[in-house]
Amino acid sequence: MTESGRAGRVRVGVDAAVRSFLREPVQVAVLLVLPLIVIEGYGYAMTAFPELPFMTESAETMGRLNGAIYAVAFLTGVLGLFQIISAQLADERLQLCGYSRGELFVTRLATVVAASVLVAAVSLAVLAWNVTVEAPLLAFGALAAAALVYGLIGMLVGAILPRALEGSLVLVFLVDADDFLSSGMVDIDTAAVELFPLYHPHNLFQSAVDGSLAGGRALATGAYLMVLLSVVGVVYVRLTGNGGVFGE
Amino acid sequence: MPNIKNRVRNGDGSLDGKTVLEADGVTKTYDSLLPFVGRTVDVLDGADLTIEAGEIVGIVGENGSGKSTLMQILVGALAADDGSVSVDGTVGWCPQEPLLYDRLTVRETFRLFGTAYGMDDDEIVEARDHYAELLSFEQFLDYRVDHLSGGNRQKINLSVALMHDPDVLLLDEPYTGFDWETYLAFWSLTEELTEQGTAIAIISHFVSERERFDRIVELADGELTDVTDEDLAASGGPGSGAAAEAGPQSPGVNAGD
Repeated sequence: MTESGRAGRVRVGVDAAVRSFLREPVQVAVLLVLPLIVIEGYGYAMTAFPELPFMTESAETMGRLNGAIYAVAFLTGVLGLFQIISAQLADERLQLCGYSRGELFVTRLATVVAASVLVAAVSLAVLAWNVTVEAPLLAFGALAAAALVYGLIGMLVGAILPRALEGSLVLVFLVDADDFLSSGMVDIDTAAVELFPLYHPHNLFQSAVDGSLAGGRALATGAYLMVLLSVVGVVYVRLTGNGGVFGE
Repeated sequence: MPNIKNRVRNGDGSLDGKTVLEADGVTKTYDSLLPFVGRTVDVLDGADLTIEAGEIVGIVGENGSGKSTLMQILVGALAADDGSVSVDGTVGWCPQEPLLYDRLTVRETFRLFGTAYGMDDDEIVEARDHYAELLSFEQFLDYRVDHLSGGNRQKINLSVALMHDPDVLLLDEPYTGFDWETYLAFWSLTEELTEQGTAIAIISHFVSERERFDRIVELADGELTDVTDEDLAASGGPGSGAAAEAGPQSPGVNAGD
């Protein structure tokens, strides 16, 4: 098949995936409303938290920053999971009709990228209402990266464990623990924390908010995303269509 | 009626008697990776099947006999544990449950699957309009799939299997939920297709009008047996009794939708 032919197939697939996503208004509304609730909720909940010496911002602001990261990561994580499992059987039929798994992966990824951009923009807008963001573009990039990291992890969980409840539970615990341990709210003296998916986006985001602009974090975030993208792509192509490792 | 002696695909009589699908010793066992979960079920145990161009074959069997598993293996949706399947030509598969994208419209569904088959835009539109007219769903082209009735969804399911004019058609309970007019249109279509040389296998619990089939094979105990010449009515087997006296009350067919 020619490159233009393949591009046309991917375009039709992306078009179908995005239309399917947008035609679930409640789903879209949740993506728009939940960041507001989570960010403001986290901020309010943290007002009573003591201000510890290693904290760079007030507890309330740190609560809002953590809330923003949590909101984008969890929402796109669940979306990534359901991109894989919600139409699993129809996807298998589409593969038998001629789409390659690689092409299907690209169409699902495109929807996750679009959702990542959307929730990152909404979350930044909500955050900027109460918090001064020194470098908004970089902050947007960091939030979008955090969203995309967990969108990919959601797709990975969906490929390995294609079950709605179990997959969602895995993501709840993963995002919660990752967000807390990567946040700087607690002083963790181990290098292992740097391997957590949200560690680099979190630090990049914080530096964009306070203006310290940690450029090295941007490189680390990009590298992490590239590695993760490759791993998820390989796992998706190898496992989907076979029912995952722990499928029905 | 199927006309196996008069099949000519695209005017080429050389297809007469040509085997287009061959399954040899297909074996399948369902098992679980996890301990203490489920049980081992031997579904297929050396099933053999050949289908020739222009032939229409009915595959019957009791509930749970493994008919749908067999069809999924024939189409490539499921891997066999042992044995082989070879297909000469393109395949169209109509699964028992409509495997479609609920939130796409009928028009978008044809575009997506037509693109998957490698058809260009004109071919997709031509096929879509042809089957929409034949199976009477023109008025639903802009409806979302999840807003269609079960019968209309099944029409789309079948049309998606047919739209690329495949050489081999594998249909799993294709007329479930059809009204009587559509049921008759379906059989006219199969007649037309077999005359062109398309090989068709239809899975059903019952063969309600056995004279429509060239051959009938029964799946029992994991093996396929040719029962075309058996008096199934006497044995109470598939296609027997009242079911053979087809009419608007044929199994799976609605008198009205």
